[in-house]
Order: sequence, then structure tokens, then C-alpha cells
Amino acid sequence: MDKLRKTFGKIYDRYIDKIYRFVFLKVGSKEIAEDLTSETFLRGWETFKEKQKEIENVQAFLYQIAKNLVVDYYREKNKTQIVSAEALPIADPRQNLEEKIAQNLDLERIKKALNQLNDDYQNAIIWHYLEELPIKEIAQLLEKSEGATRVLISRALNALRENIQKV
Amino acid sequence: MEEKELIQNLKKLRQIKPEKEWVLLTKEKILGREITPVFTVFKPAFAALTVFGILFSLFVFAQNSLPGDLLYPLKKAVEKTQTLFVSQEEKPKLTLELADKRLKELNQIVQNNKIENLAPALNEFEKTKTEVKKEVVTIVKNKPKEEAVKLAKELGGKLIEIKKKEKNVYATLNTEPSEETNQTAEKTILEILIKDAENSTLTEEQKEDFEKVKEFYKTQEYQKGLEFYLTSSLNKNVEK
Repeated sequence: MDKLRKTFGKIYDRYIDKIYRFVFLKVGSKEIAEDLTSETFLRGWETFKEKQKEIENVQAFLYQIAKNLVVDYYREKNKTQIVSAEALPIADPRQNLEEKIAQNLDLERIKKALNQLNDDYQNAIIWHYLEELPIKEIAQLLEKSEGATRVLISRALNALRENIQKV
Repeated sequence: MEEKELIQNLKKLRQIKPEKEWVLLTKEKILGREITPVFTVFKPAFAALTVFGILFSLFVFAQNSLPGDLLYPLKKAVEKTQTLFVSQEEKPKLTLELADKRLKELNQIVQNNKIENLAPALNEFEKTKTEVKKEVVTIVKNKPKEEAVKLAKELGGKLIEIKKKEKNVYATLNTEPSEETNQTAEKTILEILIKDAENSTLTEEQKEDFEKVKEFYKTQEYQKGLEFYLTSSLNKNVEK
């Protein structure tokens, strides 16, 4: 069990930033991102303990949990994921300090525009351009073929560009 | 926005990272604490010396740590211990030094572009500012009149200085500090200074400045009132 714990500890260290970033970009709140990310790794650890050998791709496995938790979060809160920029949860400015990091006006516009995309487009952009996941992995996460995934990524970027003009 | 530029900007979103403290606490919560046996043969004297050596090094390294670093809580713990042994006379000075320290840490982080420490540092500074202001109110309220006035001027001056430095640091981040909703400290200090001026003989110039200060107080602009007072003719020795 100690060996398992150590292995998962390394997995945690390797992917915590990525999962947090993914969740944060989708929910827009530091507190909620922390809760959902924490829950992702907790569930990940519970499954890892029992079925380590069955997990082929740990990164995809964690993203899948995170993705589902975000969907559940919005379902529970009775919100849709396509929200207008004005309706984004505005965290306490003293706490949502990631916002303060991206001071460049362009980044603010991109974040708002990203949040206006549908779930698949958002995920595609985050996974491909930010996290540079291979197309094969993105395709598995999106449950599409590699060809369809490439098309989706291209459409997502175009949609993002359009949204940025409007923001 | 051109596609290339858009993709470059998307990659900049990689700056978004969780707070280090939260990362460590969460890992501990999920996986429990890691216990790694270090010594297989236990030699009391050697072990004691090694432990002391490690602790000493930790304290030394902790002094240079920044919010978000692993040893930062140790640095804060040492500071807290220092405040327990300080005399009542020294307490005001130490209180303000703490706020100054947090601001220096924040400035260091901004200058060295340590993005991952930025969030914890801003948090720490805001927390300290709130505590310092509470402390200032307690200090001046419990002093006899003459001493209260002297301290009010000194502490008021320091608060304004900190406010100016804070503005500069936030300016390098292309933002401004959040609105000051709690001006209790500034209000308390201004009240002491207004009362003092009321019981004094003022020159014509001082009377004019005094009206302006009272106006600031009436409109609840305590910080601006304090800033004005400290640069006005009132902030000279008034005749009693």
C-alpha cells in the first residue's frame, strides 16, 4: 500500500496543476476549482488503489473525472455551461488572484470568450493548446474519432476567435 | 486577433496555478502524511545534533522564504513568537514593521516575476493589513491623551506610507488595490487628531486646514483626511 501511495503521490504532483487549471478555466472560481480538483484526486486515488493495472492513461483518467465533476457541479447548481461573460461567478477580488495574474487585457477577453464556448469546444481548446495533449488522447476523452477531433479543434478555435471579437 | 497571436495568448493561461499551500494540504488530506525512516541505527547524541542542525538550517532558510514557499509558515511562526516578547512601547513599531515586511515580500515576488508566489503573497498582505489596522486602533485608544496624539501621527503616517507602497506594487501588476471598505483605523486616528486641534490655539492657516480636515471626516473620507492632515500646517506642534 505504501508503494501505491508513493506512486499516486507522484501522479498527484505531476498533474495537480493541470487538473486545477482545467477546472478553474471552466468554473472561474478559485474556491470551486480547489474543491472539484481535490475531489478529482480523491476519487482518482480510490479507484487507483483498487484498479491501478486497469488504468492505461492516468492523465486521461484524471481529466475524465474532472470533466464529469464539472458537469455535475453545473447540473447541481442548475446552470448551463454556456454562460455569458457577465454571468461568470465573480470571486472576491482579493481571493481570485489568478485573475490578477492575467492582467493583460487580451487574456481576460480570451478567458471570457472561452467560457462562452460549449463544453466540447472549451475542453478541446484547453487540452490541445494549453496542455498539448496528443490528438489521440483528446479523441478518447471526447469520445470521437481522431479525424473528428481535429475538425472540432479547428472549429473551436474559430468559434473562440469570433467570441473574442464580441467580448 | 490573429490565430498565431491567439494561440500564443492561450498558452499564457498556463500561468494559472493553484496555491502551493493548498496543493500540499490537499495531498496530505488525500494520501496522509509520508513517513520515511531516516536512521536505521539510533545514536542519541548524533541524532540530537543532527536534529538541531536540521532545525537550525530550517529556521535560517525560513527567514528568506516567501508566501507560497514550504518554509513560509515557519517564518510566520517565528514572527508570532517575537510579538509575544515585545514591550508595549515597541508594539506599535513592530506591528507596522510586519505590514512593511509583507509588502517587501510582495514587491520581491513582483520584481522577480515569481508568479506562483503571487497569489499567496497578496493574500498574506491583505490579511496582515487587516490585523495591523485592528492593532493600531487598540494601541491608540488605550493611551493617555498626549501620547495618543503622538502615536496617532506616527502610526497614521506609517499607514499612509504603506498605502502608497501598496499602490506602487499593484501598479506594476497593472491593477489597483481593492477599495478600502474598513477605514476604522484611519477614522480613529483622525478623531484623535481632530480633538487635539480643537483644544489648541490655531493660526489662520491652521484654522483653514482644520476646516478641510473636518470636511473629509464628515464625508467619511478618513484616509484622505489623514493624508491631508499629515501634509498640512496642522502637523506642526500646535499651541496648547
